[in-house]
Amino acid sequence: MTAVRLAPATSTALADLLFGMADDEFVIGFSDSEWTGIAPILEEDVAMSSIAQDELGHAKALYELLAGVLDDGRDADALAYDREPEAYRHARLLDHGRGDWAMTIARRFLYDTADAARLASIGDGWPPLAELVAKIRREERYHLMHVLAWVDRLARADGEARSRFVAALEALAPDAPTILAAPDGEAALLESGILARSMPSAFAAWRGEVARVLGPLGITIALEPAAGASRHRPAPSTDFRWLWGEFTSVRRSDTGATW
Amino acid sequence: MTDPLALDPVLPPRERSELGGRARAWNEDLSHDERYEHFEAHVLGGGKIEPNDWMPDEYRAAVLRFIEMHANSELMGVLPEREWIMRAPTLRRKLALTSKVQDEVGHAQLLYRVAEDLGKPREAMFDDLLAGKTKFHNVFHYPTRTWADIGVIAWLVDAAAIVAQQALRDSSYGPYARTMQKICWEESVHIMHGRDVVVTLANGTASQREMLQEALNRWWGPLMQMHGPRSDRAKDRDLHWRIKAKTSEELRQEFLTIYVPRILELGLTLPDPALRHDKAAGEWRYTDPDWNELRTVVTNHGPMSEARLEFRRLNREATAWVRAAILHEAPRAAA
Amino acid sequence: MTRDLASDGDRMIDEGAPVQPDEAPTGVLEPYEVFRQEKDGDAMRHGGNVLAPDPELAVHYARELFGRRGESVRLWVVRRADVHVLEDLDLLQPPLDRSFKKPGGYVMRDKLAAARGRAGTSKPGARAASHDTTGRRGEPGGER
Repeated sequence: MTAVRLAPATSTALADLLFGMADDEFVIGFSDSEWTGIAPILEEDVAMSSIAQDELGHAKALYELLAGVLDDGRDADALAYDREPEAYRHARLLDHGRGDWAMTIARRFLYDTADAARLASIGDGWPPLAELVAKIRREERYHLMHVLAWVDRLARADGEARSRFVAALEALAPDAPTILAAPDGEAALLESGILARSMPSAFAAWRGEVARVLGPLGITIALEPAAGASRHRPAPSTDFRWLWGEFTSVRRSDTGATW
Repeated sequence: MTDPLALDPVLPPRERSELGGRARAWNEDLSHDERYEHFEAHVLGGGKIEPNDWMPDEYRAAVLRFIEMHANSELMGVLPEREWIMRAPTLRRKLALTSKVQDEVGHAQLLYRVAEDLGKPREAMFDDLLAGKTKFHNVFHYPTRTWADIGVIAWLVDAAAIVAQQALRDSSYGPYARTMQKICWEESVHIMHGRDVVVTLANGTASQREMLQEALNRWWGPLMQMHGPRSDRAKDRDLHWRIKAKTSEELRQEFLTIYVPRILELGLTLPDPALRHDKAAGEWRYTDPDWNELRTVVTNHGPMSEARLEFRRLNREATAWVRAAILHEAPRAAA
Repeated sequence: MTRDLASDGDRMIDEGAPVQPDEAPTGVLEPYEVFRQEKDGDAMRHGGNVLAPDPELAVHYARELFGRRGESVRLWVVRRADVHVLEDLDLLQPPLDRSFKKPGGYVMRDKLAAARGRAGTSKPGARAASHDTTGRRGEPGGER
């Protein structure tokens, strides 16, 4: 699988990219999986759960690739679970909780469209990632179809639904671009062809796509490029610390045990 | 042999059915008692009933009550497990548990759909559940305290449920029978997941094994109560109408026969000293389950009954605006 | 062809905008029947139904309830109100003899035995291919 030898700088940059992508998928996956059993409509409950499971599956596959790149004895589960809160690299957009249905749809819309732009930027420089991304993009088509169906319905409904949705978009807009913050060592990734397009270019494409969807619905939000350091969290939010406490609780109760 | 070219005058329905082949005669314009007779004969003969058939009120009410309780149980059964989705200790377990809970929601959807087609709207069923007018199975009124509870529930509670559900695959009510076939197929995966969690813990550290045994000790009582007290086959109307096919005791015996050996082979013990298989009688003996506990629990006085119903009430209120948005409000034109 | 459902007035499908024929209304929860094909070449089989406010979400929900495990390769999602039902047994199970339309209407055992007796021949090899069966062993009406 890792037959392609990478220069150390490239390898480090790739690990950084993978950490970001995997942590994004992991955090949004388990955050949205919280709707399982309590979504507004039974049929929608099943749909949202499938989407959340897909994200967790993508996270798992990305952590597995990352384990190969790091080659430090950690497997995918160790990478997902056995880090301190400060060491997680998910984008700030995902520090926001899932909130109500409007917030979830708004966050999914911003995330899925940004993630699509990110995935479209992956080149052939490292085949294992390119191959995984090709599969992930196929699965993401359904996520986009589904979230756009809901964006349309919430935006077009009168009164409360539309105003909740617009308020959620406005609350998330400052942090949404963090998905496409340029990773450390982006230059090495571009040079090796692991990235076929820079994150700033991806951002521009994404911003246009968001406007194309929201414009006809009479909604405008301001999206500004994110700083490169926006994935580092020396002081994780209280919300994330609490989440971390929950999702690591069983594992930490008997470290080294098999579950 | 009848001459196929002979012409027959078109007869009104009643006389046509007298020529033979009295299919669905209860749907014809007959007196209530005649319709009831045809209907009962059909059902007792193994025939199926579909949503657009005429039904005696007793049958419709019995089927609806049975399915509604089943649907309620799937919906409430989600709650004990979903809090552990967050705490699942590996990526694969997290996926498997999320998928299992999703399936329970899916089963609730399938069952509420069947009940809706019998004439009761979904919102009315939610109203009655949350007001305590309709019930859900005992096992979903108890807390889940550890990861081991998740294994025990997914394996043994689902197993006890599947024993009951397999016996419903030939229910007289067609949509319910077909839904049960789909549900049984899906549940078989849950049992494998549950057993995998349990076996992994059994093979694990001393503290994992302790956690597992403790969970099993706590869940055994509710499991033994789950199928309900022995009932008189002759007086059971659900059996009469072939809505279900087996008695409570038959289901319990079946469960014990399959699962006690599988529990014991892991080196676990069961907290009932009287539990044994009486070869001569061909059945399992056990300490009589606490039927008072069962009655208390299913009337919503169990340890978690009120908390879970309240959780659902709050959740339903909090999400009402979403349903209003896509159901009652007309779409507005784009700006 | 009418459906004789109890308490129609209480049903959710009566709420909301009036239904135009040939047009699926949005904003009204309605059942959509789902047919699925398990693998290439199989017949479409009825799987069940979902409740949805419009055809687009009905398709999404059908995918969830009947396709999320990769168990189907194709789904047909049809609004129940658009399904035309025929249950009239005068049309589907008419009472007069129609056995000439089925293999069971052509039992030749005795006639063939008589012909062989007359001709002094015996029955040809049982495995010989024959065009006058449905292809299934033991199906009545084939050569005996």
